Amino acid sequence: MSAECILEARDLRHVYTDAGAPCAVLHGVDLSVRRGEFVIVMGPSGCGKSTLLHILGLMMRPTAGRLRIDGQDVQRLSAAQRTRLRRAVLGFVFQRFNLLPVLSARGNVELALRLRGARLDGPAAAALRDVGLEGAMGRKPRGLSVGEQQRVAIARAVAGRPRLLLADEPTGALDSANAAALLDLLRRLHGAHGLTTVMITHNEHLAGHADRVLHMIDGRLCDAPAADAPPDRLHTRRGE
Amino acid sequence: MPLALANLLHRKLRSALSILAVAIGIAMLLVMLGLTHGTLDEVAARVQSVDAELVVLPQHENVIFTGGAAFSDRFRPLIESCTVDDRPAVRACLPVLFDTIRLGGQQQRLFGVDPADFPAFLGPRRLVSGRLFEEGARFAAWLDTLRNADGHYDPTAVSDNELESACELVIDQRLAAVGGYEVGHVETILGRRFRVAGIVESGVAGRVFCPIQTLQHIKNAGLPWASMFFVQLAAAPPGRDAGWADRCAAALAERTRARVELKTAYGDLLAESFSQIFAFIAIASALSIIVCFLFILLTLYTGVVERTREIGILRALGADGGFLLRCAVSEAVLLCGAGTAVGIGLAFASKGLIEHLRPLLTVRIDATFLLLAAVIGVAGGAASALLPAWRAARLDPSAALSFD
Repeated sequence: MSAECILEARDLRHVYTDAGAPCAVLHGVDLSVRRGEFVIVMGPSGCGKSTLLHILGLMMRPTAGRLRIDGQDVQRLSAAQRTRLRRAVLGFVFQRFNLLPVLSARGNVELALRLRGARLDGPAAAALRDVGLEGAMGRKPRGLSVGEQQRVAIARAVAGRPRLLLADEPTGALDSANAAALLDLLRRLHGAHGLTTVMITHNEHLAGHADRVLHMIDGRLCDAPAADAPPDRLHTRRGE
Repeated sequence: MPLALANLLHRKLRSALSILAVAIGIAMLLVMLGLTHGTLDEVAARVQSVDAELVVLPQHENVIFTGGAAFSDRFRPLIESCTVDDRPAVRACLPVLFDTIRLGGQQQRLFGVDPADFPAFLGPRRLVSGRLFEEGARFAAWLDTLRNADGHYDPTAVSDNELESACELVIDQRLAAVGGYEVGHVETILGRRFRVAGIVESGVAGRVFCPIQTLQHIKNAGLPWASMFFVQLAAAPPGRDAGWADRCAAALAERTRARVELKTAYGDLLAESFSQIFAFIAIASALSIIVCFLFILLTLYTGVVERTREIGILRALGADGGFLLRCAVSEAVLLCGAGTAVGIGLAFASKGLIEHLRPLLTVRIDATFLLLAAVIGVAGGAASALLPAWRAARLDPSAALSFD
């Protein structure tokens, strides 16, 4: 693994057992992500994108294959070590926001900081200001719009300055205008905080925000677009 | 702790019900302990007010059920003539004959005492109204003129009128207040009309006294028998004070073959008598507390199941098993701490209510009981959080995030 790579996956395979029958989801995924890259993984529903992200996020163990994150071979780590690595290195943005409903916007961000052992007061407020929610810090998720909730989720994910940000369909619940604005925000934070971002989406219109776009087809990643995909939408590099 | 508090505030009704469940258990524990210990301590404290050092009780008899004519008239000379180190051990022997009567709406132990001995029972307490046993003393003196060499008399020689003049009661203020009794009040007990002759301050050994000769005449056809004795000891030999009461007690026990105890041990005798009841109360209290904590456990466990997705979020954010354990324990401790505080309040309210409705009962809730309740409340709450915390810690984060 090169020093530039923060994430390197080799021949990742995963098989679910569904009602006693094995069901293969990943068929040998190879993936390298350099520090500072913004990578989008696209693919249709059910192709294994979320499973891949959960494996990259150390919330699942693959059935086979090797995975290195931030220089550590995570296959050899115990559950507790994986939790510590996840806490120290990774940040998550989920499609369904996954905010804790009992906490305010600020409370959600502070909780993530507390789990990382970080200072609570300054960074939480700063992260919410970064996403334009300085006026909504005390509001609970149910008092926020869908777009605002996702911005809180992003603030929570980046407040602790993770080295690798994993985003699972972060625009899936948003309309196109909000989705574009959110991607602009993610891209801005990515640059401002020097993040490495891996984002999963099936929304091809967002591909233009990525440094690199990968396609997931039938449990495999490939650089080439699917045969029926519009070529100008894929493999786009931001600014090109 | 902020997350635990937020979780509890988010589910207000469930939290309130959990707090109430703990509160009821804690209040029940405190009231049961307070009622039994309070009543026994109050009885023991009253007995301590008697001016005597030893008590002589029937061998192998439960002190609570000591009653009737357990000791014949042969015992008193045995006690009075006891010597230790070739010196008289006993200054005075105060016989008491017990009976059970109903007064003030509940059963009372009637203390039959010699009018001449009554100052020893009164101790430092004052006569509040009326007088002591003047008629009883005259009756006792008159009976003495009838006694033969054995100390017995012909009970048929005593007319109803003569006996009725000696049917006197001295009661304490607490009983007088509860029953609304005043000096001159007449009450039919033991088939005779007894008159309240005097009212004394609360704190005397019994709540209701009558002349022992009157009671002996009614119950024992005049035989001067007794249920127990209080013993006033003679002064210890110079320089041999240490252990004098113990040595006298041992000598008396040897001489009479009765059970002789220091008066200061009377509280222990009561506790010993109530050991079965204490065991019952302990079991009942433990069961009620266990049910309360099972309720807490169920609440927390349900919370974990309901919050499976939130736990998945926490795991995704890097929460480990220790964090989830602390969350669950914090919630439980907050619930049980609040429940304990409310329970203590409920216990004091119950104490007030019980003492208002049954003024002769004493509910003692002291610092030891409060500390016990707090420890049980907090420790039980923490323990009841372990299973839900264990389940939360074992949740697969990926599966938990997919939970709906």
